[in-house]
Amino acid sequence: MNTRKNLLISTLVATVLGTASMQGLAFDFKGVLKEAVEKEIGQKPETAPNESSQTPAATDNSSVAKNNEPEFNWKNPSQEEEISLGRQIAGNLLGAAPLVKDAALQKYVNSVGRWVASQSERPDLPWRFGVIESEDINAFAAPGGYIMVTKGLYRKLSNEAQLAGILGHEIGHVVKKHQLKVLQKQQLLNIGAGFLSDKYAKDNKLMSKAIGTGAEISARSLDKSAEYEADRLGLSYATRAGYEPYGLTEVLQAIGQTNKNDGSVALLFKTHPHPDERLVALGDAIGNRLDNIKDGKTLENRLYQLKN
Amino acid sequence: MRLKLKALLFIAPLFCWQAVIAAETGTALKNDTLRKEPYADAKAGGSLTRGEPVDILKKQGAWLQIKTKKTTGWVRLLSVKRGVSTSGNQAAGVLAAASGRAGTGQVVSTTGIRGLNEEELKAAKFNETEVKTLEGYTLSADEGRQFANAGKLKPIAFANLKAAKGDTK
Repeated sequence: MNTRKNLLISTLVATVLGTASMQGLAFDFKGVLKEAVEKEIGQKPETAPNESSQTPAATDNSSVAKNNEPEFNWKNPSQEEEISLGRQIAGNLLGAAPLVKDAALQKYVNSVGRWVASQSERPDLPWRFGVIESEDINAFAAPGGYIMVTKGLYRKLSNEAQLAGILGHEIGHVVKKHQLKVLQKQQLLNIGAGFLSDKYAKDNKLMSKAIGTGAEISARSLDKSAEYEADRLGLSYATRAGYEPYGLTEVLQAIGQTNKNDGSVALLFKTHPHPDERLVALGDAIGNRLDNIKDGKTLENRLYQLKN
Repeated sequence: MRLKLKALLFIAPLFCWQAVIAAETGTALKNDTLRKEPYADAKAGGSLTRGEPVDILKKQGAWLQIKTKKTTGWVRLLSVKRGVSTSGNQAAGVLAAASGRAGTGQVVSTTGIRGLNEEELKAAKFNETEVKTLEGYTLSADEGRQFANAGKLKPIAFANLKAAKGDTK
């Protein structure tokens, strides 16, 4: 049971010792540890030159916990672990806002989402999508392919291409493991800090410990760079899927016109760059890339109409 | 004659009203070049300054024909934020918030009582039934493809967009 812990700690400590003298350790250990952790999980979203190189598949499953509580491999989680983590987060969020009780709506959103996800770099995840009961304007992604859109955001849509764009943005977060990496970093730091102060607790490795209370993790911000990256990916996936490429930007335009003091966008505006900034960043990334894309579909007639 | 005059007086304000509602307004999101036609290599015919208010005359593909104070021309869709300017109007927004009123004149919630606020999220309890329902909607890649075919969606080759050069965001 301790092999994993020791392996992990020795790796981290070795990295740390490699970069810091023992004298300096006491002062900037946290910083060095942070660097080591970032190196371990490869958390450099923008600097990787070849985007096609995926995060290495998890192969290190040698350590199966010997007790009933499954330990989570924070250093290199398997896809299965990633999904079970996402399931927990999605279930907590659904505890705050349940699914809209309209099977036809949910099926429709899953159809659009599944098709867009098939254009992503992770087409084989069991993607699932839901519209949740909330008049807030927001959307959420949890690791492993759990994606939820509020009814308030759905109301803003006027065609299927726009839905494809926002689902694409959330799919982008899952593909790039943005949230997972934040949790990994936090847990590896906790484990490392626990070891140093002799207060290492086994439960640092458990999923529940990482997620925190309820669905508060869904109220946390990601790096701005992660949001811009998800915008670029979302637009790219929807375009590949055959949709009119500007769906996502139209939704951003609409959200940008919502008064920022309106409570329905409070959380969205707190956790995301302002829609204007996102539009500028997307516009700069697009440049002339869309000039020859002509036949994208908007499918306004197919957009499922909410019953209430 | 008198009748005609009466009619004109009646009609004139109607026309004005038409003109007002027909023009959509917007704000320049960035500095850009106005083109004489909706193409990247069309002749330049003026410039646009970030924050400048514009009238949107027409949309054609990914281009908007806009009218600035000085001139008329075409810019890319994402160079303009549609709708009224908020960037130049932040003081008004703050005042509105302080009085509990914003924009529309409606009293709005600044604490987000009706939504998924942080307190509500924190208090949430895992809901197994709802997750199971959600998972019950999972579709296969094939089902997704059939749905795409039904809408005549054709997948195309398009490499992922990259961050613009020099864009550190």
